[in-house]
Amino acid sequence: MSKKIGDVILDLQNISLRFGGVKALTDISFNVREHEIRAIIGPNGAGKSSMLNVINGVYHPQEGKIFWRGKERKRMEPHMAAQQNIARTFQNIALFKGMSVLDNIMTGRMTKMKANFIEHALWFGRAKSEELAHRRKVEEVIDFLEIQHIRKTPVGRLPYGLQKRVELGRALAAEPSMLLLDEPMAGMNVEEKQDMCRFILDVNDQFGTTIVLIEHDMGVVMDISDRVVVLDYGKKIGDGEPEEVKNNEEVIKAYLGAGH
Amino acid sequence: MLYREAGQFKTTYAADQQLFPIRQDRIGLLLLLAVAFVGVPVLASEYWFSAILIPFLIFSLAALGLNILTGYAGQLSLGTAAFMAVGAYAAYNFQLRVEGIPILVSFICAGLTAAAVGILFGLPSLRIKGFYLAVATLAAQFFIVWCLTKFPWLSNHSSSGVISAQDIVIMGFNFDTPVSKYLLVLAIVSVMALAAKNLVRSSTGRAWMAVRDMDVAASVIGIKLMPTKLLAFAVSSFYCGVAGALYAFCYLGSVEPDGFSLDMSFKILFMIIIGGVGSILGCFLGAAFILLLPIFLDFTLPGVAELFGLPFSNATVSHIQILIFGALIMFFLIVEPHGLARLWQIAKEKLRLWPFPH
Ligand SMILES: Nc1ncnc2c1ncn2[C@@H]1O[C@H](COP(=O)(O)OP(=O)(O)O)[C@@H](O)[C@H]1O
Ligand SMILES: [Mg+2]
Repeated sequence: MSKKIGDVILDLQNISLRFGGVKALTDISFNVREHEIRAIIGPNGAGKSSMLNVINGVYHPQEGKIFWRGKERKRMEPHMAAQQNIARTFQNIALFKGMSVLDNIMTGRMTKMKANFIEHALWFGRAKSEELAHRRKVEEVIDFLEIQHIRKTPVGRLPYGLQKRVELGRALAAEPSMLLLDEPMAGMNVEEKQDMCRFILDVNDQFGTTIVLIEHDMGVVMDISDRVVVLDYGKKIGDGEPEEVKNNEEVIKAYLGAGH
Repeated sequence: MLYREAGQFKTTYAADQQLFPIRQDRIGLLLLLAVAFVGVPVLASEYWFSAILIPFLIFSLAALGLNILTGYAGQLSLGTAAFMAVGAYAAYNFQLRVEGIPILVSFICAGLTAAAVGILFGLPSLRIKGFYLAVATLAAQFFIVWCLTKFPWLSNHSSSGVISAQDIVIMGFNFDTPVSKYLLVLAIVSVMALAAKNLVRSSTGRAWMAVRDMDVAASVIGIKLMPTKLLAFAVSSFYCGVAGALYAFCYLGSVEPDGFSLDMSFKILFMIIIGGVGSILGCFLGAAFILLLPIFLDFTLPGVAELFGLPFSNATVSHIQILIFGALIMFFLIVEPHGLARLWQIAKEKLRLWPFPH
């Protein structure tokens, strides 16, 4: 791959996270470089989703340090991730079920909208112009993901694969500099997976978005990621380029052991 | 005229984002407003104004308030009537104690007072959800009514807390006839319904719905849960507060704290369940339904009973009413949680395709 990979923008050092007696993450360190596609793999329950939740402030690790663009990050609340331009999708689709595709994706631009509720109620000032300007941006996302035909459909009525795509759209609408994707292809058929792969690569390529990706499909991971972290039982057992990781003894053992 | 979208191509996003994108809807609404503002005053009798139309509009407004909180922001409340009481008593006190304050300003201040109280009782929503929150709002219901009876100052030391609303005078005109009160209420409710529609189609409304549907995802997107929920409580209580002020000033004339009972809160909750949770139109449909059904039954039941030669009393009517309400509420909760408004929408979708359903 010939794209330019930049400096480290996210550096996690010795992260440990416990839920009561359960050690979800133990002493994990790894970093993410600007513009790269960084995969996190590992068997179920390895702590991958927890890792993403630590990155965007949903979980707070008991130990360890996190550096974001060179600065140590203090305790972070989830809504601050959005301000730092980190967007994500969830393993179990977390769309707003009662809203249309368009409205769901519009919510992705929430932090960029400045009008207050009085302007909204009276529909004057910034309310109207903002709505239009952001609608234009959202339509770009809709075009990019090729979902024009379902714009006005309530998301609850969509098939699973399309819901995942809309969720990606909502994250993209925020124009994130880092995108966290939690199993974006789980449960998809081959064709849907190919589409999703293409979107991820295009996002990375066209917008330079840094991507942290959790995925089970080894073929996909080896194909599209620049570097891979391997977790097992909350511990890091491998880290490096796909080729390296593939030949790592411990990784092979963990995967064979887990029946993959 | 056929109900069609065909031929009305949206060439700009602005056109697509209009309040009512389909032309027939726009025309329909204008016609409705024309009838309400011009036709009804000419045709309706005094009984209709004071017994049906005015309470219908006021309860629609209260239902709007509750629907903003429960239907859009997903926070269940059983304190609607109490927030109306706050509005009623606040408006009364502003008129009483502030020299020369215009009545409309008093109504707005009543809304703001209710909003402040709403925020206070909304604080528990930051920690608790669903059933437990409902119990917390129930506390608001009892506490507020208790306060209004307990502190005589609030009712200007009248016996058992009864207050008599002052005259409504705007720019020298005295709104003392049923028809003038009706027009005033109609104007206020129309403006506030429009504002509510604007709110829910903007990013304020989307933030509410996002918090309602999936709060973790909402916060990851950058929505701050606390201000979003509290704003919903504030706006909702503002609506209920104004509704309460109108209830005292334009409908009953004199009210007592116990009039704003839990029964009334439930009645408004039933309005939004039957009308449509999360729908502006639903508030009006629900209010009309719940207020008109008893009247309808009063008219028809005696006849029906006679037909079957059954014994009949007034108690029977109210029992049958309760039965029918119960059945309907179960029906809507189970079969059509989006209420009459959704049925109306389905009818329109069918109509749009009629006569070729495929
Ligand atoms: N909110 C939570 N509360 C308690 N335990 C949790 C929570 N989130 C994750 N865990 C535990 O942490 C471990 C790692 O889970 P997770 O990060 O979801 O793994 P993965 O995504 O790799 O399948 C599991 O044992 C899981 O039960
Ligand atoms: Mg997971």
